[in-house]
Amino acid sequence: MEYPQQRRSRRDQYHIPLNSTLSRRGRRADERLQVSRDPSQNQSDSAYGIGARARRQETERFVKGTGTYVDDVHLPNQAFASFVRSIAAHAEIKRIDAEVARTLPGVIGVFTAAELARGAAAVVAPPGIAQCPLATDRVRYVGDPIAVVIADSRYQAMDAALAVAVEYDELPVLVDPERALAPDAPLLFAERPNNIIEELHFATVDADRVFEEADHVVRTRLHSQRIAACPMEPRAVTAAYDPGSDELTVWVSSSGVHGVRGRIAQALDMNEANVRVIAPDVGGSFGAKNGVFPEEIILAYLARALRRPLKWAETRIEHLSASKHGRDQTHELELAVRSDGRILGLRDRIVADMGATARADNSLTSAFLYMSGPYDIQTYKVDAYGVATNKAAHGSVRGIGKADAAFVLERTMDVVARELGIDPIEVRLRNFIPEEAFPYRTATGANLDSGRYHACLHRAAELAGYEQLRREQAALQDRPGIRRGIGVSFVIEPTNAARRDFGGGYGACRLRMELSGAVSVYPNVGQQGQGHVTTITQIVAEGLRLPKEMIHVFDSDSVLSPYGPGTGSSRSSVTLMPAVHVAADLLRTKILRIAGHRLGLDPSDLRLDGVTIRSVTHPDRTLPLREVTQTAYLNIDRLPPDMEPALEVIGYFVNPNIVYEHDEMGRRNEFAAYPYEAVIAVIDLDTTTGAIEIVKYVSVHDCGVMLNPQIVLTQHLGCIAQGIGAALYEELRYDDDGHLMNGTFMDYLLPTVNEIPDLVVDHMVTPTPFTPLGAKGAGETGMLSPPAALGNAIEDALRPLGVEVRELPYTPDRLLRLIKAARGNGSGTAVTEGIARG
Amino acid sequence: MVNVCVRVNGIEHQAEVEPRLLLVHLLRDVLGLTGAHVGCVVGRCGACTVLWRGKPVKSCMVFAVQTDGTEVTTVEGLAREGELSALQRAFWEYDAAECGYCTPGMLMAAHGLLQRNRTPTEAEIKRAISGNLCRCTGYVNIVRAIQAAAIEVSEEE
Repeated sequence: MEYPQQRRSRRDQYHIPLNSTLSRRGRRADERLQVSRDPSQNQSDSAYGIGARARRQETERFVKGTGTYVDDVHLPNQAFASFVRSIAAHAEIKRIDAEVARTLPGVIGVFTAAELARGAAAVVAPPGIAQCPLATDRVRYVGDPIAVVIADSRYQAMDAALAVAVEYDELPVLVDPERALAPDAPLLFAERPNNIIEELHFATVDADRVFEEADHVVRTRLHSQRIAACPMEPRAVTAAYDPGSDELTVWVSSSGVHGVRGRIAQALDMNEANVRVIAPDVGGSFGAKNGVFPEEIILAYLARALRRPLKWAETRIEHLSASKHGRDQTHELELAVRSDGRILGLRDRIVADMGATARADNSLTSAFLYMSGPYDIQTYKVDAYGVATNKAAHGSVRGIGKADAAFVLERTMDVVARELGIDPIEVRLRNFIPEEAFPYRTATGANLDSGRYHACLHRAAELAGYEQLRREQAALQDRPGIRRGIGVSFVIEPTNAARRDFGGGYGACRLRMELSGAVSVYPNVGQQGQGHVTTITQIVAEGLRLPKEMIHVFDSDSVLSPYGPGTGSSRSSVTLMPAVHVAADLLRTKILRIAGHRLGLDPSDLRLDGVTIRSVTHPDRTLPLREVTQTAYLNIDRLPPDMEPALEVIGYFVNPNIVYEHDEMGRRNEFAAYPYEAVIAVIDLDTTTGAIEIVKYVSVHDCGVMLNPQIVLTQHLGCIAQGIGAALYEELRYDDDGHLMNGTFMDYLLPTVNEIPDLVVDHMVTPTPFTPLGAKGAGETGMLSPPAALGNAIEDALRPLGVEVRELPYTPDRLLRLIKAARGNGSGTAVTEGIARG
Repeated sequence: MVNVCVRVNGIEHQAEVEPRLLLVHLLRDVLGLTGAHVGCVVGRCGACTVLWRGKPVKSCMVFAVQTDGTEVTTVEGLAREGELSALQRAFWEYDAAECGYCTPGMLMAAHGLLQRNRTPTEAEIKRAISGNLCRCTGYVNIVRAIQAAAIEVSEEE
């Protein structure tokens, strides 16, 4: 196979060898721990514009331990909440006995749905919350909140919650979505005709005919397992009500303050303007903190009702069992393939386990629309069913829906390659959307903005030394009990979701230059560790030519920030950052117009230069910035005649790539930009233990222009690590009675430092043409590949046994079972000595 | 209630506490030192790691009363007179924190390591932080930051 020289853009040279060796005295850290080939790209504070590897400002408070997360907000006289949760997966509540609990020390009150309803017409489920905040008559999953205890201390609240006795009338439990689909299945929601909460169908006209005429039809049945996002900070709420002003302030560990604010106001029948929601430092989300949760509404309600500040901090068990879960889709995918490996059509049936919710999230739609991934497949038919079961509700987890789609497609691409005897890289190259076809409209109407897929995969192959790897692999298969496998994966990641009634199509940022020249920045999207403060400061600093010390970015606060959809869907670099750029432009323009008027010069002749405005043609003609701010605020008689006072602007950026209107076939474009990644993973699989060692993991990632390459890189590394967790370790397991089997970090396994191999990461830069900055989202892509790439590598390693791995995660016991089963089938005859001995 | 007298970051504190109060809650809720974070309360995530008697411990696994008459160091005690320690600087320089929630625990686990071993190998660094989970960074930059800090600290001697 040939890998022609790919075209590389100017900023491609960004390869970090992470294979660092051990610390020894007398050697400089940066000799071995080389960050970049180009020393000028090392982190610094001096270059602070767009594209600089600016050091993250927020890190300073984190290393000092002075970050402020919700549970760090201590209010005088605060009381604590603890929830009583269902231990039955599906039951009618016969009786709730809180008498004993109410007598325990420190207990202020125990509240059930009935008590809340008595308190006011309040706390009904507003749209957007899956269920009533507290269970009324029925519980539908283990962890469903039934009652809340308020007490003077954390421990007293938890003690009393344990003392609340609940009697259940158990109902039949549904844990298998296929069973829940059956016509005779018990119903989770009596008001619905069946357990299907979402049903989606799409077909191009000729879909079935292509399959009848195809040379080959490749079929797979693949399942992405149920996982949890597990940010290190669980969710938390602090709420305080001031009766004098009738203002309610709620601190939440949330991705979106405005959504929470609206729902609280609605549930409490308050004027929305009187509700203030603040998200201070948020200790990670990965989708887990998207949306509005029952606890947020209940705490807000009780803080007002009890006239006392209240706090609740989610425990890890609550996070794993009663927050939201992700993935859990089963796909039956068929690809119609020509004998040369060209894919002519795609058919899929998706059944998604949505858990105990009556409302669909975005997962099924995202999988449903993007099954063709990076490939030019215009014949497309997908039938998708989101089904309610007795598990915790489904919601966002990094890569929602898109990860399931990518996993299924990329695993199946390898099956195509194997069945047709084509190299897995080659089969992808033959099907990629070509560079000249962008922007490319997929079968379902998605407008893929830009891409150089061939170049990206070529680059990964070159970086991994693919041909050499294949030669080595052949030589290495003699080792007893160890099989070498090579897995390829290529994924696209739709970023910045936007659709009707959901929002997300624009970014907004308010900038105010104060009288001193300092700049206050209020973005409409908050952060959860993505370094937004730094990136936003970089854009403002470049736009206004000001030192970063004069710029301050505020936390997400519904009072201060423009309305926004919340962080998620990797949207910030696609819509928010362009809005910051627009805001800085607006403010600069106004400053220069004022200065031009004062100096009697054309504004186009003026430049901002630190705190001075200078004429380009007459460099001696200057005006201090302070003169401009004084003119804008104090001496407004000196403003240009048609100009409003003050230096406050809101910049908006509407992404033009979103297509809201569905056409007659249902086609639309729900995402603004499409980053992508090629991965080549090399593993050694121990056939005696079933354990996998990742020998090499090469990722070539293209998320367009990197506003801060260091931030992108760190995000991407973490994303890959989380993907490795999803591939090898993480799975929420329910038994047949609907009990979660692994609800703590002792048994739900997150990767530790020892599970992350050396990662080789390279970046290509193919800007999106739809924003002024050219950046695509960078927060999720790396998570998509590991389940596919490592699964492909496992099947590659076990090829002589014909083992098919169709379930995640790839745990040693699962792999051992498959190996044993394959040997039992007699297909082990072709097995090498090493395998046979293992 | 039991009286606890504990020296935290060089300052002596007295408190009346329930015997079952965890050290992490003494630090956070009673003493107002919120640098140690709570992530699991089963001793697995390490976000609450502090030094107790000079060694890293998960402060959710220690009762406050056990620390009576002893010395505890938290992340707030790493910087000296406002000057960041080599380890804190390295975490900043090598972009070893994203959301920052695990960072204090990581720093204290690493600090404990460097207290007893100024020239740790990569394997020793990984062992020292293997009880600390990070969901954001993938650990790569954390290991590099600790290596860099170790070199700086050992060169200063």
